Amino acid sequence: MRRGFLLLSLLALAAPARAEDPALVRLMQGFAAQPRSEARFTEEKAIPELDLPLPSEGMLRWQAPDRLEKHTTSPIEEVLRVEGGRLLYERPDRGIRREFSLEDQPEMRALVEAVRGTLAGNLASLQRHYEIGFTPEDSAGPWRMVLTPLSVRLRAAVQRILVSGRGAQVRSIDTEGGGGVTRMQITP
Amino acid sequence: MRRLAAALLLLAVLGGVLGTQVGIRADLAEFLPPGRSPASAFLFRELQSGAATTLLLAGIEGAEPAELARVSRETAAGLRASGRFDFVGDGTTTLGEAEQALLFRYRYLLSPETRPGAFTAAALRPKLEALLEGLRTAASPLLARVGFADPTGAFLGLARAFVAESRLETRDGAWFATEGPPRALLIARARSGAGLDAEAQGEAVATFRAAFAAAKPGPARLLLSGPGVFASEAAAAIRADIRLITLASAGLLAAFLLWRYRSLLLLGLVAVPLAAGTIAGFAMTALVSNGAVQGIALGFGMTMLGVTVDYPLLLASLRRPEEALRDAARRIWPTLRLAAASAALGLAAMLGSGFPGLVQLGVFAGTGLLAAAATTRWVLPWLLPGARIAARPLPRPIRAALGALRGRRGLAGGVMLGAAVLLLALGGPAWQRDLAALSPVPRAAQALDGELRRQLGAPDVRVLFALGPGTEAEVLAASERLAEAAAPLLGHALQGIDLPSRYLPAEATQRARQAALPAPETAQAALAEAMAGLPFRPSAFAPFLAAIAESHGLPPLTATALAAGAPTLAARLSPLLSRRGEAVQGVALAQGVADPAALADLARRLDDPKILFIDVKAETEGLLDAYGRATLLWALAGGVLVLGLLGLGLGSPWRALRVAGPIGGALLVTLAVLTLLGEALTLFHLASLLLLAGLAIDYSLFLAGDATDDTMGAILNCATSTLLTFGLLAFCGTPVLHGIGLTVSIGVASAFLLACALAPKIPAHA
Repeated sequence: MRRGFLLLSLLALAAPARAEDPALVRLMQGFAAQPRSEARFTEEKAIPELDLPLPSEGMLRWQAPDRLEKHTTSPIEEVLRVEGGRLLYERPDRGIRREFSLEDQPEMRALVEAVRGTLAGNLASLQRHYEIGFTPEDSAGPWRMVLTPLSVRLRAAVQRILVSGRGAQVRSIDTEGGGGVTRMQITP
Repeated sequence: MRRLAAALLLLAVLGGVLGTQVGIRADLAEFLPPGRSPASAFLFRELQSGAATTLLLAGIEGAEPAELARVSRETAAGLRASGRFDFVGDGTTTLGEAEQALLFRYRYLLSPETRPGAFTAAALRPKLEALLEGLRTAASPLLARVGFADPTGAFLGLARAFVAESRLETRDGAWFATEGPPRALLIARARSGAGLDAEAQGEAVATFRAAFAAAKPGPARLLLSGPGVFASEAAAAIRADIRLITLASAGLLAAFLLWRYRSLLLLGLVAVPLAAGTIAGFAMTALVSNGAVQGIALGFGMTMLGVTVDYPLLLASLRRPEEALRDAARRIWPTLRLAAASAALGLAAMLGSGFPGLVQLGVFAGTGLLAAAATTRWVLPWLLPGARIAARPLPRPIRAALGALRGRRGLAGGVMLGAAVLLLALGGPAWQRDLAALSPVPRAAQALDGELRRQLGAPDVRVLFALGPGTEAEVLAASERLAEAAAPLLGHALQGIDLPSRYLPAEATQRARQAALPAPETAQAALAEAMAGLPFRPSAFAPFLAAIAESHGLPPLTATALAAGAPTLAARLSPLLSRRGEAVQGVALAQGVADPAALADLARRLDDPKILFIDVKAETEGLLDAYGRATLLWALAGGVLVLGLLGLGLGSPWRALRVAGPIGGALLVTLAVLTLLGEALTLFHLASLLLLAGLAIDYSLFLAGDATDDTMGAILNCATSTLLTFGLLAFCGTPVLHGIGLTVSIGVASAFLLACALAPKIPAHA
């Protein structure tokens, strides 16, 4: 009993350091309530060495607890599927099918953990990987989350991820890394 | 009484002194022959001291995967911190930032893509188009990072080649087996230039266990394997096994003798020739082998000398009532002498085998037998001049059964004929050609090793090429010649080949690549032409041009530089490229070999003095066959000699043949039963058969002389003692001990029964 009480009071002391924004917690609960979702996306990559941006589009699919699929249909059909720590890449037109460990792909990992953590409503996982800046404008209205990777290794590849949405829906993800920006717009 | 105690004390002291003065060698490799061909010589040198001896394989299981991963990560961290390991592989092993930087810097010297003509506008154009396409795909973040400094993809090609074969699954920073229950996997290479001695291996194993314990494993278990574990822990386990069995069989033997003779004195009497024989055998072996007695030869030799308890037992049992021990010894000496001399002569076959371990075993057992016989003749009567030990009469049913067996020559002949027919029908005895069966390592430990190797993708060496010896540049150049020649065979004759040049190209090759790089102005012009019409900004590939310019001036990468800058890669290279004194020796390991003959053919066609093909399995099988044949021939020669000796000793060739009958019969029956049980014969089975022949001579000689109930009782006591000593060995997990135990047990039983059946009938009990 006394030990339990001590533990509780220690937790209570530790809690303010993490500043759990109640709006963020509510948002995460909203995401956690959706075990699966599907949406269209359009994406535009701006790379400093290139004169023009590179567009692409396709479908995003999410299945709790940890399966995320990005199926690009244009200009090149390819599938990127993450499940647990494995990364599967398929490119049907060339018959390519490769499996990687997510650990070995820092660029991919930085992005995957952000999207997966958000869609799963797993705040603890997000906090483990990123410093979170959350600006809600309205409890059910639009919101913005700025994620900065905590790991030096991930931050070398991706400096910042901006996730924004409305209610329990992600509307856009901007990834900034290596001097370039990738903007993804999502329509449910 | 007092003399006996003093003699036992003296023997104990002598044994202790010898044991501390003579070093005992423990590893199997030294037990093996030095190798007759260059290939086998290389092979055994690798086995004894090669880099393979530094490898430790580990599995962690028995908990939730997440917990296993944590324990694995912390164990690996502990191992790295210990400083005892050159390389620790686990799920956290990727090319470090510094290693990637080194690879990146040297990419045009290391990449096989660097060829004349690879940097012209025509060659660059498709590369740039591919880069542009790649940037549209999911790989774009990685390509955006490295693609503009390396549009030809040299670096990514290298990185892929280096980590490609890790077929392991990584979860939470730990490697996991892809089959079976969750098991985290680790691999470590102990720090050392070449091979390790047993002591250093033991320390590495202890460090590993300590690191595991420090990771607070909870319910998780550590499965550890590798030559170091075999050398230290498995050997200890076997020693404990032997000790237990020795104690158990000694206890059984003592109880049996006490029951039969009701005399504690007899136990002392039995111990003296046994101890004297062991000490004499040990001393002679140490003398013959320059002080390096093999632990295996010693262990098995001592086990074999267990048969010398027969001599004092015969002496005590065959003494007539009211006869002094001295007179009894004098009376039975001609027969005893003949038996011991014939048995020792039979063991001489081992001397001719050329197998160092067996030669030692032969010397040990032969000397021991003769010394024990001599002790029985001259020392025992002096130790116990007034001894009045007599065996109890045999229980009536046993006596009746033996009496009924006596003189049943037809039965004996029938059994022998049956055994011969059975042996023929089974296609003769099966000969063990697998070196592993000779190993003192228990089967379970061997199986675990095989399983961990398979799961970790560690090479289980079946076919290899020896490269060199020579300078590092020569060995790497030989490796490249082999790589080129083997390339057409990949995918069918073999699945892959791990070559030192895969991690480090020869110096000449690196220089040739430097020469193939264009001058900066040429490169710039070619690039500008290739970029025409593509959406790259003009300055996009400035880092690429700078890298070409820098590559011209780089000093070629050496093994030493690789070790300093890229420890993970150096650890992959080091088992394939080792320094032996001044020279460098390389090894190429072939994987997934489907057609060894094609590889042998390849080496023959190459006819390269620096490339030697070794089919490990065929080579060891050939060696074992050769030594098996030699031992068999010597055994036959020994048999003829023994027959001659018996003929001389008994004064008639007819009587010699009659004595030899039960011996030959026992050998036949034993071979037939072993074959029926599916036992493949090893050299140790052969050695046991020779020993068995020596025992059978005792039985046969004494029973042929005068097969009274008393003699039969005495021989039965001897046979039972031997059965008690060797029977337990048949239950041992160690293949060799099991083989010896089984062979001797079957043989002794059949030799005794056959000798009884072939003994002359006596009209009535006198």
